[in-house]
Amino acid sequence: MNEQLIHSKITSMEIDVLRAVKQRTLEKFTEGPSVERARLFFLLLPYFDEKHWSGEIEASAKTVSIVYAALHAHDQVKENASATKKQQLTVLAGDFYSGIYYQMLANLNNITMIQRLATAIIKVSEKKASFHDGLDRTTAELDRSVQQIETELLATFYNFYGFDHYTPLATLMLSYIRYKDELECLQGGSETRIIRSLNETLQHPLHTERWLLEKLDNLHDQISLTINSYNFNYDLKNFMLHQITPHQHRAEQLTREG
Amino acid sequence: MEKVKLKLLYSDLKPELDMIEKELEQAVDSESLLLNDASLHLLQAGGKRIRPVFVLLAGKFGNYNIDVMKQVAVPLELIHMASLVHDDVIDDSETRRGKPTVKAEWNNSVAMYTGDFILARALEYISEIDSPKLHHILSKTMIEVCRGEIIQIEDKYKLDQNLRDYLRRIKRKTALLISSSCELGALVSGTDEKTAAHLRRFGYFIGMSFQIIDDILDFTSTDEELGKPAGSDFIQGNITLPILCARKNPEVYSLLKNNLGKELTEPERLHIVKTVRDSTAIDEAKAISERYLQKALEELAYLPKGNANKTMRKIAFFIGKRKF
Repeated sequence: MNEQLIHSKITSMEIDVLRAVKQRTLEKFTEGPSVERARLFFLLLPYFDEKHWSGEIEASAKTVSIVYAALHAHDQVKENASATKKQQLTVLAGDFYSGIYYQMLANLNNITMIQRLATAIIKVSEKKASFHDGLDRTTAELDRSVQQIETELLATFYNFYGFDHYTPLATLMLSYIRYKDELECLQGGSETRIIRSLNETLQHPLHTERWLLEKLDNLHDQISLTINSYNFNYDLKNFMLHQITPHQHRAEQLTREG
Repeated sequence: MEKVKLKLLYSDLKPELDMIEKELEQAVDSESLLLNDASLHLLQAGGKRIRPVFVLLAGKFGNYNIDVMKQVAVPLELIHMASLVHDDVIDDSETRRGKPTVKAEWNNSVAMYTGDFILARALEYISEIDSPKLHHILSKTMIEVCRGEIIQIEDKYKLDQNLRDYLRRIKRKTALLISSSCELGALVSGTDEKTAAHLRRFGYFIGMSFQIIDDILDFTSTDEELGKPAGSDFIQGNITLPILCARKNPEVYSLLKNNLGKELTEPERLHIVKTVRDSTAIDEAKAISERYLQKALEELAYLPKGNANKTMRKIAFFIGKRKF
């Protein structure tokens, strides 16, 4: 499958997901559902890799994407801000998307998947809460939490349909994307919960930046190594390396500059 | 005091409700100390547990097995709890039932994760039941409840909305989950479809009456009884039935219109509350609530007589006359 077809399939899924959660008021007053293309790519990875795929699997993949959108909406609620209309509707958007994913799986009579996803949401919520509990954590512990937040739902989907072998690669790549976003926030002067926790552990934003840069280089190396253990065709592998996680070694550059 | 009186009405169910209370505590057990504390904080603030009560009572019309019934009763209360913790973020509420809310005790984010966690626990729990019909009903209800809340935000500060808008909103906001509690209780206990339909309608009518009374009490109760300032609905821009009835008087209409959405001083708030309370609006709203109550009682007349029927009737009367 070439690059164009991959993009086209992701777009088609994106449209389906957006249609499933469409709600006039939410559309007007909130940022709308977050449907990240990289996540859609990983949900569709077995299809791109020409593994057994069906309408039921694809429908389940859509529901996982909706769960991500639900949880992401709640991440957007400001920690201590008062209730603006946008904030109020963002809370409801998350709850509404949760209802939609539950209904979609109920319509598919896929009760087991409802349960498995619920368990995954519990784990993700627990890890997200860990960034607010004020306990001291090592960077390794923070890293494990980030990994679980990013991949637990996807790993549940993979496991349910027998695609577990993709989990290690997806974990590396989704962590990479997350840390890249965190680095951009840090360099742009904004502070996320993850950055705040890293700053608390590493005691200085410069150390956090350094840690993130090294982490990205390290993840990239692991991705390059791991991806070769899969029998992906040339186009798919290329797509993953250049479109999903394009990388520039920056930690070394920082050392030379600084 | 009122809550104690209500609980006395279903004292026959006490052993089962105690069991459900324990299950609720277990259900919110988490490896995250923070989520555990926040969930228990919410749970221990108490509540009428009216949804589990209706599940259990509805189950008495079929093959009642507490081990099966609790699989529905526990998640329904969890779903209600999850919505409360998120509602407090939406309403920016500092207290609930006289205790600090999760968002006030911790912050909005913790409230969001706590709600997500509790809702997921509810789904984890209820998906033990392999009944597509049950999941269709519940998922539809959850979506409709959200739609109701979205519409409530849309309709805020709109003094010129009509009665139908209000009724449709409270149907989604409150009546549907109570209606589903009755219907799902009937479903898992294997009652016939006719009985299940009567129970569903009973739950709907009683839910409507319950919410109207709640909206009345927002004007007629004291701040202490409510655990929040009287007239909070108006302050937040929620146009409830007493307001819709009161606005028929042109002078009251002007007063409401001029103060809606304004930062009210204490004397202004008290003046508005007193004006609505002293108008005919309260009696008119009570009459509408009473009509729903009568309809609920009519549904009970179709159901087999017995203790469950009697208790449902008592609860219905209590809801119609409750003081807060």
